[in-house]
Amino acid sequence: MTTTQWIGARAPRREDPALIRGRGRYVADINLPGTLHMAILRSPYGHARINSIDASEARAADGVHMVITPDDIPDHVTEFPVIWRLPGQKDSGTPALAQGKVRYVGEPVAAVVAESRYLAEDALDGIDVDYEPLDAVTDCEAALEEGATVINEDWGDNVAIHHVFAGYNALGVCGYEPEVFDNADEIVRGRLTIGRHSGIPLETRGIVADWDEIHGRLTVHSESQVASLFRTELAASLGLPETAVRVLTPNMGGGFGNKWDRYPEDLLVSIASMELGKPVKWIGDRREGLMATVHGRAQVQEWEMALQSDGTILGLRGKVINDLGAHLHSVGIGPAWVTGAAAPNQYKITNYYCDVIAAATNKTPSSTFRGFGGPEGIFGAERMMDKAAKHLGMDPAELRRMNMIQPDEFPWFNAAGAVYDSGNFPACLDKALEAADYDRLRAEQAELREQGICRGIGIASYIHVSGFGPSPILGYLSYYTGGYEGSTVKVDPNGKATVYTGMIPMGQGTETTLAQVAAHHLGIDMDDVRVVWGDTDQTPYTGFGSAGSRSNVAAVAVIRAIDEIKAKAVRIGAGMLEADAEDLEYADGMVSVKGAEEMRSVSLAQVAQQAYWAHALPEGDQPFLEATYVYDPPNFTTASGCHLVVLDVDINTGKITFRNYVVVDDCGPVINPLLVEGQIHGGVAQALGGALLEEFVYDEDGQLLTTSFMDYLLPSFTDVPEMEIHHVVTPSPHTDGGFKGMGEAGTFPPGAAVANAVSDALSHLGVEADELPITPSRLWGLIQEATG
Amino acid sequence: MGQVAITLNVNGRNQTTLAEPREILADVLRDRLGLTGTHLGCEHGVCGACTVLLDGEMVRSCLLFAVQAQGSEVTTIEGLEQDGELHPMQKAFSEYHGLQCGFCTPGMILAGVDLLKRNPDPTADEVRDDMGGNICRCTGYQKIVESVLGAAREMNEVTS
Repeated sequence: MTTTQWIGARAPRREDPALIRGRGRYVADINLPGTLHMAILRSPYGHARINSIDASEARAADGVHMVITPDDIPDHVTEFPVIWRLPGQKDSGTPALAQGKVRYVGEPVAAVVAESRYLAEDALDGIDVDYEPLDAVTDCEAALEEGATVINEDWGDNVAIHHVFAGYNALGVCGYEPEVFDNADEIVRGRLTIGRHSGIPLETRGIVADWDEIHGRLTVHSESQVASLFRTELAASLGLPETAVRVLTPNMGGGFGNKWDRYPEDLLVSIASMELGKPVKWIGDRREGLMATVHGRAQVQEWEMALQSDGTILGLRGKVINDLGAHLHSVGIGPAWVTGAAAPNQYKITNYYCDVIAAATNKTPSSTFRGFGGPEGIFGAERMMDKAAKHLGMDPAELRRMNMIQPDEFPWFNAAGAVYDSGNFPACLDKALEAADYDRLRAEQAELREQGICRGIGIASYIHVSGFGPSPILGYLSYYTGGYEGSTVKVDPNGKATVYTGMIPMGQGTETTLAQVAAHHLGIDMDDVRVVWGDTDQTPYTGFGSAGSRSNVAAVAVIRAIDEIKAKAVRIGAGMLEADAEDLEYADGMVSVKGAEEMRSVSLAQVAQQAYWAHALPEGDQPFLEATYVYDPPNFTTASGCHLVVLDVDINTGKITFRNYVVVDDCGPVINPLLVEGQIHGGVAQALGGALLEEFVYDEDGQLLTTSFMDYLLPSFTDVPEMEIHHVVTPSPHTDGGFKGMGEAGTFPPGAAVANAVSDALSHLGVEADELPITPSRLWGLIQEATG
Repeated sequence: MGQVAITLNVNGRNQTTLAEPREILADVLRDRLGLTGTHLGCEHGVCGACTVLLDGEMVRSCLLFAVQAQGSEVTTIEGLEQDGELHPMQKAFSEYHGLQCGFCTPGMILAGVDLLKRNPDPTADEVRDDMGGNICRCTGYQKIVESVLGAAREMNEVTS
């Protein structure tokens, strides 16, 4: 391996030196001279009319510079829009403050700006709000019933959308044939529930807005995961030209999708800064992080799987009800739509129907969260596979294998319209079985059961349609942004490179990854590549910045920009070497004469110097050595894999103890194995939180009962098992480098794998773990029910 | 609200600052002394991101008023590096990829340092048990455990 083979290397992260010294810079660390601090008054009710707000005492309080009530919001300020607007979807957006009534606990009602955060919070007590409590809707199925209290009156009911997947058959091979379900040998039914939980980045949301009146510019220090789109929407909502807004994103303490959305506080700090002419800072506390940052995942699913008696799947149909929360947030019902699209998973299911219904409830809006509906779809598919296997008396691995899409059947058009580009699903399953020594496990399981030990083995296979996405397809799906990533690469006169990306790092090591890709393709040392991110004044526009699109979309933009630079380097090198460009090649940072016995070459630095001197450039070439490429992928990339979990259930307490956790991951070629392992570990841990511990609990009045880390339980060191990771590598046929998205995949199968293992452990009792999270008390209850 | 003078020995240097008695130690470190390496993840003592060493003992700086630390020695993440040399725990976190977003990292590193003071050669299970009071949302903990074990090996080699 030469020093320029950076792709595939376990390169150390360049993010680390600052972070391990405590010298990262997060939004809370930004203290501009004269900064004022904002605190938010939030609704204590799940559903209530606001009769009046009296803020006079707060306005007169010590150190208070401004109080914002709905009446103080300038008329030209508009709410943030929903950018995924499927046909038939109800109209809604995210306002700066509650308008006339509150719809969830935590909804912003008023804001105070004062000289310190302490004083701002003090002054909240001086705002008197007269609420008239209304009936709250807290159950997503009850929300759909005739006569249910309507949360958003202009909708007429609580149905944000009813979207039907049926008969998407791009190749004419899929459709919905209800008669198959009438005539099938076997029908297996399941009702599944996924608890409301979320990404909960350890760094709460926060933002600093700094209005420069002289130049008419608003600089915002934000942790938006999609700074360009944030700039577009913030400017539009504030009535500013987009050129007036600059978004800077410093280090981010985790995002997990939650920071992809736009939030009321973004408008409030901006309004205050523009009014006061001073920087205004808001840093949310944890309570706000739990009640006023988007939630996710909450769904009730009902499925019916039709099978032949030999195990061949004939069809899958079902209903997904998404517990949406009070209103549509930035991505609308996007995650629930993805659930419907992902549920056919790895199997040759050509007969498919799915009702996706998003129901408004008096809870925090649910929206973007790592995996974006995919993990929910995989939970449905993989629980149903185990239920079917049990029903038929088949081994769950065997049932999966016989129904899998085979490696020679790609591209595969799934029944919901998604196109899978590549994969080797049976190889992933087999590798997981082999790594876990499946046959031995099954034999041991039988022995242990005789000793009274309830050991369970759970398998879950998954697809992750990543790399959103082809912009025309986003358009077709009524997703009002582009799915491309752009990159500018500049080679300086000294031959060192700078990569500009619109991607916003959240902790994954984006800077390291892109530096590796650039160094590899330029054939130079990684230390000679700088990556610039986090400043919309410098970096290319990005419309998406999510869904595992760093390696497979952003990296391709870098590669293609470098291809242009290399082509220009060859043209300039031709003059320097007095050779024809066709006879030259670029490799390892040198332009050389192909096949020459005596090495005739010039270095990138020598070429770069010529490019800047511009004394003798080829005809048609401009000075400089730089290029910009905006890559819009022709298709999604399909990452896939299989998780296998082994665990014991204590039937006296409902406690679960992990014995093994095997991950087989196929994200195509790996750019940095160290980072990929970290992403998988973290994704699995996060999903295990949702599988076993994490849940936002509301009472019947819509009061949120889990507003601290003592009630909302995050997985800790002792909750997460040691994982064993293996790879199957199936390159994407259509991305340069064959990379696929991988940052989210770890979150897809754990919920199903754990539920399958628990159900397997307790199969002799007939316990089916169909509701996540499987908390000890919930599981103990199921065991009690089963054992009477 | 009236302010009082608070003198702390922070990372080996005596520093006096004015602060309100109600100000928590983390806020004084961050906002009055400019040591923003101490992070606040929950402000109610669960997540451990704000961990500092107070007179050598691990504490949560969000659960202490700064006045309670009057006259004490405080070590923050910024004080671990000695004479330009990183602490082995800091190096190990980078080497073993024990951090991603870096937000829990200062508290995590200090908790690891504190653990090795009490138990210089822990097993993986002991690391998990002992550090259970610090939450990480990115790494799934596995590489943090590897980091702490790696730092222990490194430190034991140096001392043996």
